[in-house]
Amino acid sequence: MSRDRGPFRLDIPWTRIAWSLVAGFVVVSFLLGFVVLGRYQQSGPPLDVWNAICRAIGITADTGPAGEPQPPLQTPTRVAWTRATLEQVASGNEQKGAFIALNCGACHGEQGVSSSNLIPILAGMDAAVIYKQLDDYRSGKRLWGVMSAIATALTARESADVAVYFASLQNGLPPIAGEGFPQGGRSLRQPDPTLRLIFVGDPGRGIPPCAVCHGPDGQKVGAPALRGQHAAYIERQLASFAQGGRQNDINEQMRTIAAALTQDEMHTLAAYYGAK
Amino acid sequence: MYQSKNLALAHYWVAFAVFIVAVPLGAWQMLMRSPLPAPLDDSAAYYASVTLHGTAMAYGLTTFFAMGFGYAVAATSLGRPIRGMAWAWIGFAVCLIGTVLAVLAVLSGHASVLYTFYPPLLGSRWYYAGAFLLIGGSMIWVVLMVVNMMAWKRDNPGRPVPLAMFAITATALLWAWAASGAELELVGILLPRSFGLGDLVDAGLGRTLFSVTLHAIVYFWLMPAYIAFYTLVPQAAGGRLYSDTMGRLTFIMFLVFAIPVGLHHLFVDPEHGSGFKYLQSFLTFLVVLPTLLTIFSLCASMEIAGRARGGRGLLGWIRALPWDEPIVLAAVLALLMFAPGGGGGLINMSYAMNAMIHNTAWIPAHFHLVFAGTVVIMYFAIAYEMWPRITGKPLRSKRLARWQLWAWFWGMLITTIPWHIAGLMGQPRRVAAFDYSDPLMARTAPLTIISVIGGLILLGAAILLIVILVRSHFGERAAAAPMGYALAVNPPARVPPALNGFALWNAVLAVLMIVTYAYPIGQFFFLKQHSVPAVEVTGRINVMGVRQ
Repeated sequence: MSRDRGPFRLDIPWTRIAWSLVAGFVVVSFLLGFVVLGRYQQSGPPLDVWNAICRAIGITADTGPAGEPQPPLQTPTRVAWTRATLEQVASGNEQKGAFIALNCGACHGEQGVSSSNLIPILAGMDAAVIYKQLDDYRSGKRLWGVMSAIATALTARESADVAVYFASLQNGLPPIAGEGFPQGGRSLRQPDPTLRLIFVGDPGRGIPPCAVCHGPDGQKVGAPALRGQHAAYIERQLASFAQGGRQNDINEQMRTIAAALTQDEMHTLAAYYGAK
Repeated sequence: MYQSKNLALAHYWVAFAVFIVAVPLGAWQMLMRSPLPAPLDDSAAYYASVTLHGTAMAYGLTTFFAMGFGYAVAATSLGRPIRGMAWAWIGFAVCLIGTVLAVLAVLSGHASVLYTFYPPLLGSRWYYAGAFLLIGGSMIWVVLMVVNMMAWKRDNPGRPVPLAMFAITATALLWAWAASGAELELVGILLPRSFGLGDLVDAGLGRTLFSVTLHAIVYFWLMPAYIAFYTLVPQAAGGRLYSDTMGRLTFIMFLVFAIPVGLHHLFVDPEHGSGFKYLQSFLTFLVVLPTLLTIFSLCASMEIAGRARGGRGLLGWIRALPWDEPIVLAAVLALLMFAPGGGGGLINMSYAMNAMIHNTAWIPAHFHLVFAGTVVIMYFAIAYEMWPRITGKPLRSKRLARWQLWAWFWGMLITTIPWHIAGLMGQPRRVAAFDYSDPLMARTAPLTIISVIGGLILLGAAILLIVILVRSHFGERAAAAPMGYALAVNPPARVPPALNGFALWNAVLAVLMIVTYAYPIGQFFFLKQHSVPAVEVTGRINVMGVRQ
């Protein structure tokens, strides 16, 4: 703070003592942490000094998992939610999408609202969700005869176009409302088991709450908002995830959750979301 | 106190306004965690509430209180007006804007990332901007404290800086060093990402940078309490400070040892090797030294006061102390809470023992006992001591103030002791809903219910604090003794330059920071990529599927 006594003038006793003490602490703790601890910490024979130091700074070529056999890589989807993917989805053209969607109306309804309750409503669905499913059908990560054939005929750009078109349609799935004022009954005290599963999950069975990804409040990229979707379609997808027929969930979360649900639960959960 | 009165008072009022908003949230969170029925039991709201409670208490209350305390100490201990009043008010405004921004962002439900940010969680940009402004605005205070101390030294060559001023400047420097970690994390990682630059978040680097702040911030909170232990408590007890030199050494040691120790918050994080974790664990134990010095010095000063008041015999001086003075009572209650709290801290900082309690309810129990207990009870006592001198209106009832301190003390013990035990039983932290039908969790149910009772007592004590301050504020004016700081038994005529400035100690700290943090931070720039996709909690998607 002042020029008359530099912090490095070792002829001043205070300066000398302070630096010696700090140097002492550092040397002792370095020896203990980087040599002694590194040498003896692991089970097995003690390491030599060099390997002990490497281990202590976190570089463990000798003990790391690199040499272990790796299982073959299996990817549940080719889509990753990088900015590039999201920008590609967002760059979709609605008019072009409307033209492509003429092929979809027979099953999904002219306005994206299907009449069959086993075929999902697309109107108002998040564009990223539609884009991912089309890509999964195209790459064979999700299997359904008709959809696989149709998706194979589309390019990634056309998928984005049609996804954006369906996302823009009204009168289908309700818009995502976003977070509101806290509502009671969204904890484990909720007596209704279905609501409990939706808003808090079941920690005992390792089931996270549905609502954190699928709404009504929270929403994750790539997870469809379920409110207003056909109940029978939701229930069928749950069963399909549980039995392993559908495997395109990126982190295997839906297969894990669905496998833990009972049939009754699948039914009531689907009914909750499907209720208009 | 010259014109600094309004400045200090404004800071104190904001600090306690933030505090009184955050206390009911804490009580409600206790209720949410328990098996008892809770209003608005919404797990999403729980995390928003935890974020707000933590942000308000850890950043809002403390920063505003320390700033107000610093201005009051600078004006009264140096006995002259503060230089840079305009800047002080600008700093106050910046901090206030930051606080409001952060609070609104959390209330909107788009920033439930908890106050320690936890990347790869990513919240609203306004939350980060608010935190940045709050911390950044307090840097103006840091500069003002240093400027005022240097100006006084220039005008009084050769004279020792008053201990209170020396200590508050150490606090300011400590905060500047400590805050650098969080500010770098905000500017370098979280703010750019929340404004849409880049895809990924370097969570490891972010957490490491925050660890620079995370432990030292605790000492920033603690310092006003320690300054009171050295200067205000002996004065109020009617005695003298045992040793001025010991005080200076204590604050210097806090400055040097509080910061290069933060990795002990990352003991189980995989991105660091064991060597640096051990090194910082070792240095953490050195922080015990100034704490023990303080406890010794406080007890010695109290004994001097007790004997001066006619206490005789081995322990007779204790009874002779002026127990009706709130700050004397608070100091003792603070120490009583600090004994188990500090002991718990020794467990947390031990490299091996930490594994037992890491990420359990033990941790929040520990920091509540130390911070909300020891530190905050001294904030109350400092307020009771300073309010009459700032406003010229004495406390309406010292008795009520003593009741308030006792209620806070018992409330904190009743809350945190069962909380510690629940943690030892394995109850995890940062969890909104516990499944008490699970036999493992069922054992902790009675403990959490006791904690709820403690929480309600704390809520009552917090309301009582505001009642006491407001009542006194609108009370009658009466002449109050000017702010006084305890003289040492042997007041120093001269002190060595090393104990009268911080040049040496800043240099020592800089070297220690390089030794302890250069590699743990530097490795992220040359080892393999650590970045991961952000987990956004903003909860908003636009129709195009791209996050806003």
